[in-house]
Amino acid sequence: MSEPRVLRRGWTTREGWRDTKAGLWAWLLQRAAAVALVVVIALHLQNPFIPAVQAVLLGLVLLHGLLGLRAILLDFGLPVGWHRALFAGALGLAILLFVVFWMWRWS
Amino acid sequence: MVLRVFRWDPGTGERVQEYRVTAREGMTVLDALVEIQRGSDPTLAFRYACRVGMCGSCAMVIDGRERWACRTLLARLPRRTVSVRPLYHFPLIRDLVVDLEPFRRRMLATAATFEPAEGPAAFAAVGRDTAERRQVAAAIECIGCGMCLSACTMVAHDERFPGPAALNRAFTLQLDSRDGAHADRATRLRSEDALVRCHAQASCTAVCPMEISPTDSILSLRRRAILALF
Repeated sequence: MSEPRVLRRGWTTREGWRDTKAGLWAWLLQRAAAVALVVVIALHLQNPFIPAVQAVLLGLVLLHGLLGLRAILLDFGLPVGWHRALFAGALGLAILLFVVFWMWRWS
Repeated sequence: MVLRVFRWDPGTGERVQEYRVTAREGMTVLDALVEIQRGSDPTLAFRYACRVGMCGSCAMVIDGRERWACRTLLARLPRRTVSVRPLYHFPLIRDLVVDLEPFRRRMLATAATFEPAEGPAAFAAVGRDTAERRQVAAAIECIGCGMCLSACTMVAHDERFPGPAALNRAFTLQLDSRDGAHADRATRLRSEDALVRCHAQASCTAVCPMEISPTDSILSLRRRAILALF
C-alpha cells in the first residue's frame, strides 16, 4: 500500500499565499523579527555606536515585543474577533514609539 | 469563466484541467462542477449532498480559500479564472474528494467524544438560557466539514496536533456537566501536541462557514488549563 497523497499549501506558489489571513501575517512577522533580532543583536554587540544598527534593533524589538503583547492579550481573554485590530494597533504603536524614541535619542 | 480544477487519481499523476463555464445569474461553483460533470467531463469526481449549505460535504479550496462550493457564487469571485482544489491535509481519494478519516482520528485522540458520567449525573436538563449552554452556543454548531483543518497551518506540521475542530469539540465537552471524561481529556489537552501547539493565527475562525471561533474555544481551554494549576 503506497503512502496516501496529502496536499499541503504551496508556500512557493502565488495561490498558496492568496487569502493569507491577518493572524498568520502577525505570527510570521513576530517570528521573522525574532530571527532578525539574533543577527542584529550580534552586530550591535560588535559595535554599539552604529546608528543604522541601533535603528534596526529598536524597530525589531518594538515589532517583536508589541506583537507578543497582542498574543498575550488574546491569551488573557480579549475576544479573538479583535485580533486584526490588535495587529494594526501593534504595528501603529511600533511606528509611533520608534519615532518618539528615535527623536528623543538624537535630541 | 474558467475553472482550473485539480485532477488526481491513484496511478496517474496530478494535473490541472481547465473548464470553460458560462456564469449565469446565481450560479455557484457547485452548479458549475455539476454542469461540467453532466456535460463535458463525466470523469470529474467531487462530493456533495444537500446543495444548500447545510451538510458541509462540498468543502474545497476555491481561489485559495476554504469554502463550500454550494455557497460560493461565481459572480462574487474577484477573478474570472478560478482555481478549485481539494482540502489540504487530508488524503486524496480522487480529484476533489478527500478522505476525512484524519478528522475522526484527531477527534478520538483528543477524547473529543461524549462519555456519559456515572449515575444520575449523566442526566441533566441544560436549558437554553443557562450560562452552561450560552458558553458553548456557537461551538456546538460544528458539522465537521473539515475546512478548519485545511486552513490550519499547524495541522500541516504536526501529525499529532488535534486541530481546531477536535479542540473546539473538546471545549464543548469540558463544559458539559453530563460528561464524565473531564479529567482524562484535560490530561490529553495539556500534552505537548494539543493546546500549546495552537498559535492563535485564527485561520480556522476566518474560514468557518458556521461562524464558529475554534480559536476562542482553544484559548478558553488554555486559560482553564492554567487556572487548574492553582
